[in-house]
Amino acid sequence: MGSVYALLGIGFSLSWGVMKVINISHAAFGLIAAFLAYTLLQAWGLDPILSIAVSVPLLFFAACFIYRFLITPITQAKEVIVSSMILTFGIAIILENLMLLIWSPDPRVLTTSYTSKVIIVGPFYFQYPRLAGFLMASMGVGIIQFFLKLTYTGKAVRAAWQQPDAAQLYGVNLKRISMITFGLAVASAGAGGVCMAYLYSFEPHTHSLWLIYLFLVVIVGGVGNVLGAASAGLIIGVITGLSLAFLPYQWVNLLTFGLLMIILILRPQGLFQSEV
Amino acid sequence: MLAVNDLEVHYQELRALRGVSLEVTQADLVALIGSNGAGKTTLLNTISGLIPAVKGQVSWRGNSILGFSADAICQEGIIQVPEGRKLFSKMTVGENLEMGAYLPTARAYIAENLQMVFDIFPRLAERRKQLAGSLSGGEQQMVAVARAIMARPQLLMLDEPSLGLAPVMAADIFQVVEDLNQRGITILLISQEVLHTLTIATYAYVLENGKVTLDGTAQHLLDDPRIKESYLGL
Ligand SMILES: Nc1ncnc2c1ncn2[C@@H]1O[C@H](COP(=O)(O)OP(=O)(O)OP(=O)(O)O)[C@@H](O)[C@H]1O
Ligand SMILES: [Mg+2]
Repeated sequence: MGSVYALLGIGFSLSWGVMKVINISHAAFGLIAAFLAYTLLQAWGLDPILSIAVSVPLLFFAACFIYRFLITPITQAKEVIVSSMILTFGIAIILENLMLLIWSPDPRVLTTSYTSKVIIVGPFYFQYPRLAGFLMASMGVGIIQFFLKLTYTGKAVRAAWQQPDAAQLYGVNLKRISMITFGLAVASAGAGGVCMAYLYSFEPHTHSLWLIYLFLVVIVGGVGNVLGAASAGLIIGVITGLSLAFLPYQWVNLLTFGLLMIILILRPQGLFQSEV
Repeated sequence: MLAVNDLEVHYQELRALRGVSLEVTQADLVALIGSNGAGKTTLLNTISGLIPAVKGQVSWRGNSILGFSADAICQEGIIQVPEGRKLFSKMTVGENLEMGAYLPTARAYIAENLQMVFDIFPRLAERRKQLAGSLSGGEQQMVAVARAIMARPQLLMLDEPSLGLAPVMAADIFQVVEDLNQRGITILLISQEVLHTLTIATYAYVLENGKVTLDGTAQHLLDDPRIKESYLGL
């Protein structure tokens, strides 16, 4: 299920790398999309995959708005990383309480008509929701990669990151590009959040657990490295998957984070380089 | 075409520019010389909109452009090849050139300009798919100049384009700058290679400690005893 972690983590990694904004509320935005998918499913029976068409644009515009009015002022600060963490931590708390108000603290699961269906291919069998989550997340990662590598705006994002001054000298409007990057990062968290909701139950507090995985993806994958994040997501997915198969549930996180610590001790710069 | 008037720029307490005035006429190749720390880069970056001025005027075709953002200055056709090249080193040569033509006005001519750039620097055509950061210093400087050409400059400002290059390579770059000027692009060239710069320039300014101390036609400056002594070591 690594591609889901990857999709959730890529945007986090991008805003960290490009804008030096460590967005603590990243996972909370993803969780909002998950709840939205839940409500749309309950109310109108809308497939969670289709709910993404609602939540992604919504999150994009909300994030642009937040960037313009809350984050732009602190980009002038000396310690952008620290101030952004404090600010977005505040946003995360607000979002969490908003979710508590709207959706109550009960754990939810996305139950669709195909929840218990499986596909059997030779000796393997795949659960439908997991397959859907996997395919969607892989597609999301692919779209982001396509955006960064092949569109003009995506190239401007990479240029602005590598040489902000030179990018401006050739016509890149840094404020606008940062706003779009932040918007897309948060929007991708929305898609990632829905994919996560396919796999696990969630409640308004779940984003703090997801956040830990985000840090894991960035630390293993390298800051701002899309392919690194994807690989890191896969590695984490495989480790949690394997340990779930052989170990009692309580051991899974212990193993995952034990591994994280070993990586940090052996390769403090992460497994992959920081680049876009 | 470009007129700088009594420009004053500070870095905290440091007065990097103290009332600089300078003029660049259309189709000229104007040289700006001066020792390290004189404020040459500061002047270009202020014109480009990267650094704010405390006081003074910068006008372009008669309109004030002081306070414009860097991307708006680029839109005006004032393009800078920055000191130290500042390439997008983790992007390919081709992508660097595309970024030069980022603005829609330049993007419309991208194919035509790529052709021109590859005519000027055939080596870049071979290296198109290679990461800019993996090129040699001379090749990187070619990319920096080529990227600026892609932006369709009306005024091209180059900040020490020959710094750190072998003499042959440096001569090539000067040749390209001269050719571009002949094609009708107005040039403002910063260089420490005073002799070579003054032989291709039409007009020149000498900047010392944030002030213009001398200006005149390039020929005039070549003959000036002060230039001979301080910059040509004669
Ligand atoms: N970002 C900065 N912060 C503080 N002081 C600066 C900054 N940039 C330049 N300076 C100072 O301003 C003065 C002018 O610097 P500038 O880079 O414009 O000189 P220059 O003529 O381009 O020199 P060089 O030939 O070495 O490139 C120098 O004293 C320099 O130390
Ligand atoms: Mg300089």
